Order: sequence, then structure tokens, then C-alpha cells
Amino acid sequence: MLEHLEKIRSQALRAIEKSGSEDLEAIRIKVLGRKGELTSILKSIGSLPAKERPRFGQLANKFKKEIEAALERRKAQLESGGQVQQIRGLDPTLPGRRCHVGRLHPVSLMMGEVCSVFERMGFSVVQGPEVELDFYNFEALNIPPDHPARDMQDTFYVDDKVLLRTHTSPIQVRTMEKISPPLRIIAPGKVYRCDSDVTHTPMFHQVEGLMVDRLVSFADLKGILTYFVQEIFDKDTAVRFRPSFFPFTEPSAEVDIQCVMCRGKGCRVCSHTGWLEVLGAGLVHPAVFRYVGYDPEQYSGFAFGLGIERITMLRYGVDDIRLFYDNDLRFLEQF
Amino acid sequence: MLILTSWLKEFVSFDVPVDTLAEDLTLAGLEVEGVESAYKGLEPVVVAKVLEVRPHPNASFLKICTLDAGSDSRVEVVCGAPNMIKGQLVALARPGTVLPDGTRVQVAKIHGVESPGMLCSQAELGLGEDRAGIMILDASKGARPGESIVEALELDDWILEIGITPNRPDCLSVIGIAREVAAIYGLPMISLPRAGIAPEEYSAPKEDVPISIEAPDLCRRYAAGIVRDVDIAPSPVWLARRLLASGIRPINNVVDVTNYVLLERGQPLHAFDLDRLDGPELNVRLARSGEEIVTLDGKLRGLSPEILVIADRDRPVAVAGVMGGANSEVTGRTRNILLESAWFFPGQVRRAAKILKAPTEASYRFERGVDPEGVLVALHRALDLLDRIAGGRRDEVKDLYVKPFDSVYIELRPEKVNRLLGTRIEPDEMVSILSRIGMDVREDDSASLRAKAPSYRLDLKEEIDLVEEVARLHGFSRIPSRSPEARLISMPSEPEKVFADRIKGILACQGLDEIISYSFVSPEEIEALRFEEKDPRSRWVKIKNPLSEDQSVLRTSLLSSLLGAVSRNLARRNLDLRLFELGTCFLEQGKEKQPVEEQRVAGIWTGSRYPESWAWPGQPADFFDLKGVVEALLMRLGVDSFRFRPGTPDDPFYVPGAGVSILSQDGATIGTMGQVLPETLSRWDIDTPVFAFDLALKGLMDISCDTVRFKPLAKFPSIGIDNAIIVSDSVYYQEIFEFIRSNGHEFLESVNVFDVYSGKPIPENFKSLGIRFVYRAPDHTLSDKEVAEIHNPLLRKVLESFHGELRALKNDGIDLNQEGNRRENKPGTWIFGEDEPKIS
Repeated sequence: MLEHLEKIRSQALRAIEKSGSEDLEAIRIKVLGRKGELTSILKSIGSLPAKERPRFGQLANKFKKEIEAALERRKAQLESGGQVQQIRGLDPTLPGRRCHVGRLHPVSLMMGEVCSVFERMGFSVVQGPEVELDFYNFEALNIPPDHPARDMQDTFYVDDKVLLRTHTSPIQVRTMEKISPPLRIIAPGKVYRCDSDVTHTPMFHQVEGLMVDRLVSFADLKGILTYFVQEIFDKDTAVRFRPSFFPFTEPSAEVDIQCVMCRGKGCRVCSHTGWLEVLGAGLVHPAVFRYVGYDPEQYSGFAFGLGIERITMLRYGVDDIRLFYDNDLRFLEQF
Repeated sequence: MLILTSWLKEFVSFDVPVDTLAEDLTLAGLEVEGVESAYKGLEPVVVAKVLEVRPHPNASFLKICTLDAGSDSRVEVVCGAPNMIKGQLVALARPGTVLPDGTRVQVAKIHGVESPGMLCSQAELGLGEDRAGIMILDASKGARPGESIVEALELDDWILEIGITPNRPDCLSVIGIAREVAAIYGLPMISLPRAGIAPEEYSAPKEDVPISIEAPDLCRRYAAGIVRDVDIAPSPVWLARRLLASGIRPINNVVDVTNYVLLERGQPLHAFDLDRLDGPELNVRLARSGEEIVTLDGKLRGLSPEILVIADRDRPVAVAGVMGGANSEVTGRTRNILLESAWFFPGQVRRAAKILKAPTEASYRFERGVDPEGVLVALHRALDLLDRIAGGRRDEVKDLYVKPFDSVYIELRPEKVNRLLGTRIEPDEMVSILSRIGMDVREDDSASLRAKAPSYRLDLKEEIDLVEEVARLHGFSRIPSRSPEARLISMPSEPEKVFADRIKGILACQGLDEIISYSFVSPEEIEALRFEEKDPRSRWVKIKNPLSEDQSVLRTSLLSSLLGAVSRNLARRNLDLRLFELGTCFLEQGKEKQPVEEQRVAGIWTGSRYPESWAWPGQPADFFDLKGVVEALLMRLGVDSFRFRPGTPDDPFYVPGAGVSILSQDGATIGTMGQVLPETLSRWDIDTPVFAFDLALKGLMDISCDTVRFKPLAKFPSIGIDNAIIVSDSVYYQEIFEFIRSNGHEFLESVNVFDVYSGKPIPENFKSLGIRFVYRAPDHTLSDKEVAEIHNPLLRKVLESFHGELRALKNDGIDLNQEGNRRENKPGTWIFGEDEPKIS
């Protein structure tokens, strides 16, 4: 009996699901009519043992209601032209109950990305003071007092010996003083130069890298930085190394990448050269090694540095560096 | 540095398009930052054909010409030139054109007739010396009316803007760049026709002008030439044009020649009016205290013994290597001149220019280093030029060379070059490169070369300098790019950086946006935070040369930065702000000492609690919104025990009573939080409540724990009991909580306050705290009786200790504990049995 009841239910529900509007009444009569399948089985309830009757009756009634509801639903569905039904009072198209999502500053995001590329290559992150001694910022980097190279970086001074670091290179020296080769480090951080316009802020962020070992060469430097650029930008971004000058590296290079805006065709961003200067690099000058007590005959190394704001601007298309430190919510929430 | 390609070609004969030249220079380390046609200004000047010439009605010496200026346009201009004939092709400058000498052509009314443009002479166009008549173009070359004269005359000359790095002072001249071009392309240098005149050609000196060098360390060489009876006049057009194209304004022939030689050879020269020198005699000496000089720019400058001067018998007449004095300046009335060419010590010139705040073209070159062997050559070059354009008679040239230049052979090991560069460059190529840059190369054996640098390459001092020369002229692009072979290094990244990144991530997840602010603030911003005098944060590190007073000191607290950001955002109607910053604060330690740098993290919340939405109530954020953030941060960092100390917090910028100190388990302050004082906010024009927190990274790091110990999941259900306790509203919940924690039975799993209520029917100055106690045993299912036996004594103790009373709960309470949710529990009422405490 139970099996039969279950069969009636499932057949009825299937039939309703497939029915057209003209079939519905026929199904109702076939199942629930006076001589319908379910009606008949309810009538035959008396043949069951008294103990099973209530349970069977309950179940049959539950199925009856279920079939009636299915008929109603199908009817409404067919009347509405097959449209999905609405529940009164529920508008699922209203926006969800969103919580506020916080964002990291774009400079932090880019800094994290840059560091992670180098960390994957076995570079460790080191940090150092932002207010530095003249010695570490200049002298130990082969920039004596009264050297014209000091003009390359407009320096904020606290007094004659103390200044705001103009690059994160002092960290190189501080690290080499403590640790012997081999060495692979990157030094991220804030740096300061007295300069302020559309492309310069008096504070910005740099990441500097240093690798020292036996047999480190300029070719290695090219390899590492090309890999880095292609990780941060596109796999097929062209990279160009051209000779330049930094007192603490020799040979020194500026590293240009193919303009990411125009793909090298020439545009306003690259001043129509097709190239963008993004990194400074070179082999560590023997004078720096002598300052920290490394033997330049035994070890060689390379160092490089890049401004985070610059590549953040290129990556996201930000056209005014000052936006980074204005901290307008409308800016921050875009990243 | 601006370099004219036509000038370059006087010294090296190269034949490549200008764009190729620019790129090749750039790739050799002389970055060409711009290329511009030297005739850019002449582009608007067009070829015009003279159709008709008729007399000016009001002036007999003028004519009116009708011109065909192309595109069928007829133009009538007034012209005074004598050499105009119908049918000629002439150069017409229309209004708006700026001629090379700076003249802007305008519509002019000449004796009553309007002239929309002018016909130009060779000199006016900078194309020749002829000033008398207008320039007549050769009609046979096929110039068409309307065409720009730059195209019609095929004018091809370019100005290269080259960035010269500080190590290459030799390239601060046309000759220096020419040498590089010659080295890049392997071309010979063209030497100029004889510089200087043989001694017998000098006129006999009329009188001797004694010259002495009192400071030979600071002035290695001093040469001087005297020319008498010069004609001071404007320079010829060719010379003036070259100066203009190089960015120097022509003054008169004598001054212009000194500038010309400066540009051509990189040797600064100075011309004195000989008759205005007292003596006449010259002394190269340090200035005496109290001496002053009015320099050529008209400024009176005080001198000090750190500054080297050129003095006549009793007063300075020039600041050595920096600027001449007005007292001996060459003027229109000058007859006799003394021309100086010298070598001053770079550091000395740099210091003087810095002290006097007077950087000049001369000091720029001296402080980088000029060629000591070029001093006399440059002087002769200038005298030759003066001969040509200013006339006069020369006296003998004096040359005091007290410390002759001496250069040494530098060893270069080809194997080392290739090892450092990662290349396989043949030693022969190295020899070739070094020879091309003017080095004298000797090959000792295959393993070692020796090379001597020319006197103008003061930057070549050791082997690595030669490695660089080989690399750059071999070409960086020809050095392979490879992946280094390296030993594994295991060195953890800076723990503080890793920890800082963790904090940033957690706060962003809590809905706070990160900001980054300048480290400098104004002193007054720090003062607005009201630190007491004994607080180290009340003293700041001052920058000697700030960009502005607003950015003149280093911040001692992040709060000033955050409030600055709040203020700017509020002004732009960004009203709902949850911001944090992680960065350095600087604590001053005294003169010539680095400040203590403290990493801190701070945040603020102002505006609404939830984002604006139909689905959230519009409520303002309060203290507990931010406290939740702080607690979540501490918990995520694995700080297992912390507490908040109310009362007087360690920071003075909170509203009294609404600020707390955040303490570690051992009572050390790791930070503070609270509602910021309106008096502080008003400094930033903020008039809406702001809640803030501030934590020290070091303190946090010391007590945070990132090791996790797994606790087995509970197997038996818990029982939750809700009690409402009425206590005086001066009692802090934290005290009750800590009392319960320390007095509770081991089965007491958690304690949580789920309701805080004051108001009727609770008596005034009292509050009701709804507290949920959850009990669980690790090894069996607790019975109600068992729980009653341990809970009732605890509850009694709580009530006694805090003078509290129990309040009946109307609700059933909902047990938050999912797996132990026993619906039949009727917390708050049944548990006490006959031992029931009094319920109010």
C-alpha cells in the first residue's frame, strides 16, 4: 500500500511538471477526483490494520496537499507565461548587505609585489633607519663631502651629520658591515628629497637590491632585472640597459623599459622616446666593498634601486604622484 | 647641456641622421634628453615673391611691397631695404614669429601704413652677417612662395639636449661630446687651425702685470693674456647664434668669446678690464674676513677666508671659479683687457658657490674638474677669436703652472673585465676601445694591459673605471643576460616587516583603508596633540632646510597624519572614514644623533557605522566600533591576554573618560584608544566625533604569538546560564569579568556580556549587565544539579564583591553554544532551587 501511495505521488508530480494548461484539470480528476487514484486509496484505508491506519492516513493527506500545491503552482506558472515566480516582499535584486572592505594603499600593494618577486629568487627583506648619518647615506657609498654627485639628490638635513636618507642604499652598507658574503637582500622603505612637483614628492618609496657572491657579473644583473621587469609588467616587455653614473656602482646603468602605455611607439608618457626609465643599477664599486671590509678581488656584486611610485603610476595609470599622499578616499578605494 | 650638431661637425666629421646620433650617444652613457631643430623658430618664416614695389606715400626712404606669400594670399608690407626688385624671392616673417634675436614680429603701423609682417635680413634670421638689405633667396633652387624657409634653404642643424653625469665633466663642452662621437664611431678628431701664436708674434709688453698664486693647493694653474685697444662691439651673427642656441645670451664680443670658449672647450674664462685693476696686479688668495665684493649679477656679497678670490693690489676683483666682480667688469668703454684661464680646486669652487649661493656655468665645470692641460689651449683659442672679432694688440701670455698634471698607468686585466661583465671580449677590442677614448695603452702580456688616461679624463683612476669604459663602448646591449648561479642563502626577512604586513592585512580585513602620509608635519600639529613636556613625543626633530613650515619637523605621532587625512576628506564630503596608517614616528635624541625611530600603527573611525544601504541602519560609529577593530587585531595577532585601563590614558588627546590605555598581560602599555578631544580636532577643523587608536609595533610584536596549539573539540554538551546583574554604573565590566575568570570553576568555559541596560525599571545610577556563563566538562555531560553547585556560589561571590543584585530575566535566552544547545535549560530562574539568592 505504501509503495503504491508513493508511486501515485511521484507520477502525479511528474505529470504536473510536464503539463500544459489544458492537462491540469485532467490530472486533478485522475488523481484527486471523486474516483481519483488518491481518493480511492484513501477510501481503502479501512482494509489496513488499525495500528497502521493513522500513519497511512497522515501520509496520504500530506501527499494530497502536496499535489494540490503543485497543481496551483503549475497553474500560476503557466498563466504567467512560464515566468519565474516572485515571492511577495522579497526582491532578490536589491544589493546585498555589504560590509565595508578595507584596501591597502597602492604603494603598499606594489611594494609587496616587488618584494615578493625578489623573495622568490632568494632575496631577504632588510630595513634601516629613515633618518641616517651622512656617513652611511653618502661617504660609505663613495660620495665624499663636496662631491658634485651630492647634487644628484637634494637632501633634507637635520644637522651637519644627520639627514633624511635620500635612498635606501645605506641599508646595503649597514647589512654588509654585519654579514659576510654570499648575500642577497632587498631594502624597501621611505626616502626623502627636497623636491616637489607633478612627478616628485619630497617623500617617496624605494626598493634597493644587492647581491654579492663570487663571480657575480653584469650579465647576472641584466638577467635578474629583465626577469623582474617582465614579472611586474608584461612577459614580453623589452628592457634596455644604458650606461649612467652612480658613485657607488661601476659600471652603472639606467634601466629603461619599453613604454607600457604605447608599447614603444612613442607617447606623452615616454616623451615620445618609446622608453621609460624605471631602475638604476650597476656592479658594486670596489670602494664600497673596501668601506665594509669585503675583498673586491674575491667578491663581486650588483646593486639596483627603483622608485615604487613610478612603477605604481605606470601600472595603474595614475598621472599625478601627489595623489599618493593626499589620501583622498576616492583615490584609495580604487585599488 | 645644449649641443649644436653643426658645431660638433667642426671637430668630428660624422655622417648619421640626428636621431641615430642621439640614440648612439644615449647608449654610450650621454643621455640625449631632447632633439630640436636649431631653426625651429624660423619655421613660420615663409618664402614670398615680390609682385610689386611702390613708394611709401609718407616716407621717401620706405617702400610698400606687394607679395605673393603662397596659397594665393597677397600681403602688403612696408620695407626700407634698398635691394628690392620685382620678381625676387624674399623671407617674410608674419606677426607672431619670434626671430632668433628674440624680436617678436607684430603688425606695425609705419608712417600711417599698416604692415602685417616684415621682410628679414640674413642677420635678423641668424643666417649670415648681412644687415644692410633683406635676404634674397636663390630662385634657381626651386623655392616656392608660402614654403617655410627652413625647407626652402634645406637648413639642417640640430640642438641636442644632453644630460651629463657628474663623473664626466669632460663632456661639458662641444669638444668633449665630439671626442665621444669620435670614440663611438671610430672617427678621427679634426684639429682646429693653429691655436695660439708663436712668441715672436707678440707685441712687446708695455708694462708687466705681476701675477702671484698664494694658495697653490687651491689653484693649480693660472694663465692670463692681455689684449690692448680692443673694440667692444656686438658679436658677429654666427657667434651670437651659437651662444643663443646653447642657451647663453650674447653681451659683447669680449664676453661672448669667453662664453664661446667655455662652451667649446669646457674651460671657463674671465675677462677683466685691465685699466680698472689696481696696480695693475693679480693675486690668487683666500678672502680676508670682512672683505666684500659686488659680483657681476649686481649683488653685494660678504666674503670669508673659506673663499678663494682673485684680488688686485688691495681688493677682490673676482670670486675664483664662480663669478667676476663688478669693479673690474668689461663694459662698452673698456679698452684693454686681461683674460684669465685657470684651474681651481673642485671642492673649493663648490664650497664657494654653495656659501655664496651662486652656482654658475663656470663653477659647475670647475667643481666637476676641468682639463688642467686645456687651460692654455683655451686661452689661446680665445685670444685668436678676439683677434678676429675685436681687434687689438696682444701682450705676452703668462702661464703659472704650479702643480703640473701627472697621470699614471692603470692596470687592466682582460680576464677580470670578462669575469665582471660576464662577457668574452677579446683583449684586442679592449685595446681598441681604450685607444679610442684617448688612452695611451701598453700591452705587457696577454693577461694584463696598462693604460694612461688623457688629462681631460680625470674620472679614470682605477681598473674598474676602465672596465666601465670597455663595457659602455662595447655596448651594454651586447653583454648577455643570464640567470645567476648562486649558493642558497637562508636568511629570514626582517621580522618587523613581516609583522607589519600582517597587521596591514588584518586591519584591511576589518574594513579600514590604509593611508600613507608624509613623515613631516608642522610643529603646531604636534602641539595640537597636547603631549606633556616630559613626554618624548613633545620634542621633535627639525629639518634644517624644509620645503615649507608645514613640513618642517618629523612626526612624533601618527595621529596628526591621520587627522590631516580626515580633515582633507571631510572637506571633500567623504564623510565616512575608517583609516589606518603604519609608519615611523621619530623621537629626538639631541644634536648630531639619529632619533629613535618607532614603528607604530594607528587608525581612526568617523562617520557612520555601516555603509549607506537599505539593509543597514543609519547609525553613527562609536567607541565600541573601533574597540572591536582593536580587539580583533590583537586576537588575530595571537595576543592571548590584554586589557583596557580606563581612567586617565597614556595619551592626552582623548576625551577624559572616553580614552583607555591598552595593556599587555604584564601591565605594559602597548597603545591607547578613545574618542579624540574636540580641542585637538579643531586644529584640523574637524567638528564631528573621531575615534582613534594608536599602537606600538615593537610592544605588540613582543607579546604576539603566532604558534597555534590545537585543543581537542569538546565531546560533551555545554550548559549556558544567563544572569542579569544590577550593579552601580561606576563598576567596570572588565573588573567583573576578570573576577569571574579568576574565581570560576574549571568547567566555566566562557563568559560573555550579551546585554547592557540602564533606565526603568533599573534604579538611577545603576546598570543591568546580562551575562552568559557557559559550563562544560571535558569527560561527561554536566547535570543541572552539578552546574547549580558550582555556579551559584560564584554568582553569590560576584554579587557580594560588586554590591550587585540579580534581576529576573523575562526571555529564555538563547544559548550561543551550538553543540551544547539544550533547549530545556531555563537559564536565570530554575537553577537556584531552595538556595536561591534574592531576585529584585
